[in-house]
Amino acid sequence: MIVEFLIGAAGLGALYALLTIGVSLLFGILGLMNFAYGEIIMAAGFALYLFRDQPWLLAAGMAILFGCAVSVLSERLAFHSLRNADPVTLMIASFAVSLALQSLARMSVLPKAQGVPPQNWLTRQLSVFGVEVSILNLVMLVLCGATLTGVALLIGRTTLGIQLRAAAENFQMAENLGVKGNRAVAAAFGIVGVLAGIGAVVLVARQGAVSAEMGLQPMLIGIIGAVLGGMSSLRGAALGGFLLGATTSLLETVLPSDLITFRDAILFTLLIGVLVIRPQGLLSGSKVRVS
Amino acid sequence: MWFKRAGVLQTPILLSGIVAIVALIGAFGSPTVSRVATLALIAVIFVCGLSTFSGNSGVMSFGHVAFMAIGAYTAAYLTIPVKLKAALFPDMPDALSFLVRIHAPLPVAVFIGGLMAIVFSVLTAPVVARLSGLQSGIATLALLLIVYNVLGSWTAVTRGSSSMVGIPQRTTAWNALAFAIAAVAIAWLYRRSRSGLQLQASREDYWAAVAAGIEVGRHRAYAWMLGAGLCGAAGALYAGLLTSFNINGFFLSATFAFVVMIVAGGYLSLSGAVLGAVLISALQEVLRRFQDGQFTGGSPLPAGVADLVLALILLIILIKAPQGLMGVRELRIPSPRAVTLPRRPSKPSPAPATP
Repeated sequence: MIVEFLIGAAGLGALYALLTIGVSLLFGILGLMNFAYGEIIMAAGFALYLFRDQPWLLAAGMAILFGCAVSVLSERLAFHSLRNADPVTLMIASFAVSLALQSLARMSVLPKAQGVPPQNWLTRQLSVFGVEVSILNLVMLVLCGATLTGVALLIGRTTLGIQLRAAAENFQMAENLGVKGNRAVAAAFGIVGVLAGIGAVVLVARQGAVSAEMGLQPMLIGIIGAVLGGMSSLRGAALGGFLLGATTSLLETVLPSDLITFRDAILFTLLIGVLVIRPQGLLSGSKVRVS
Repeated sequence: MWFKRAGVLQTPILLSGIVAIVALIGAFGSPTVSRVATLALIAVIFVCGLSTFSGNSGVMSFGHVAFMAIGAYTAAYLTIPVKLKAALFPDMPDALSFLVRIHAPLPVAVFIGGLMAIVFSVLTAPVVARLSGLQSGIATLALLLIVYNVLGSWTAVTRGSSSMVGIPQRTTAWNALAFAIAAVAIAWLYRRSRSGLQLQASREDYWAAVAAGIEVGRHRAYAWMLGAGLCGAAGALYAGLLTSFNINGFFLSATFAFVVMIVAGGYLSLSGAVLGAVLISALQEVLRRFQDGQFTGGSPLPAGVADLVLALILLIILIKAPQGLMGVRELRIPSPRAVTLPRRPSKPSPAPATP
């Protein structure tokens, strides 16, 4: 029981951490609090629906591809022209991009929610040392954990990562020193697309359906996690997302059933509390940096 | 001409004139036109509230729709006939059972709706007073989500996700006009008041204002409460017009529509907010008819076209003219002498985050 709960909580924490760094990566580099993140996930979810009869790996790959494409396109068409705008203008713009993508989806491919039956092997239970563990939770933990490690390595160890960190620190200076700013920003949006794609694979397996509105919840999770952890430190954001996931899991277990519908209200009240006490986030220093 | 000598009163008089024209169109138009015009007047009241906070402080809020929801629910409890209410709320807890017995006419409900919104805003004012910029945007969004979650889940008291029905239709173009003019006057008075001017100073330069001894947080809290009252009143009128509403009407898409209005008009100026509300309301109606196929030979377009166009318009405004239609200017009669004075372009920057 305890082990099952811990794996569930860690899995949800890893998923939330994944969603969170998708938001905070762009915030660190561009000051963009991306409300359209949820619609990138929705696009990836639509790929899963489109390829639901194909092998799982192909569907997942297509989800990542769709996520990347929508993410990079949104940068080219909307955020590119707002490179020097202040964060609040960017936030309003991303609000508009989010609504535009959502209404596009509603007009064309997802006028109503569509079921995506989860893979058979994902729904089974696995017995480890006499403890029943759902494979979905394990997959969620492993997949999200691996992705988080990958992002950490990418940001910390590669040339692209160094360029991204430089652009986050001081965009103009980095460009003067030879970082191709536009390429770095496009790469950042690409990474966000990949993260959204993997997030969508897990989310759709959990929910078993895709709809035009499915992006709202993960987008809010990403933003809240990022705010909790510290808006622009990736490590802080990942930890914030993890804490949020674990807390959600805990609230679902300990709250009496008539209070469980108010889970979101409790979470958002906690969020406001954190904002008031530590506006820079729980785990962030006052300096703004990505590392 | 008395009009020009009225000086600082020019702007509210001109704005009242504009809303009066909208009300006239509503009073003598077909039922559909009347409904659209009344909705536009309610939007004017709402953006007056939003602009009282955002326009003066330079801090964007995504949470004012929550006050509108509170106003609408208050109006519903007050105006639904008592007999019907007993049937609508069979599970009302004893502590709140007085809600089933009370009754009041719409104008009283509008005042009490505004008052309830102010009560809620007093509770949240310390948060708003402390935060700036992005953090404030997120915190106000969180407020909206909390109110949405509670109103949408507390089924015994708020009917949860079922619609609130049976509100008598008492909002007309005329009483909406009266409240709209009052809202414009209140917003204008606050803007010219000591507190409003100090808040505008903090919008232009946060640290200079603090150094000059302005208690920015306190004035933000005042503007927040006053704006909340106006938005609550707008919500009550909205309930009285629609006769039934759902909690989903007070969520992100409504927030988005009001943000488009205030950004299109220019959110730093009251005239901009009011003009934005009127113009975008009209545009929404045109788009709705377009989507229903009235301009394309009767073949309806897929749902979502109107939202898409609205989103694209907002994006284009943000890219091409981030200050909106009016910028920081207010509506005035151009006088021949004043025209020769070049207006110094001022580009206000949002207040930096308080550490």
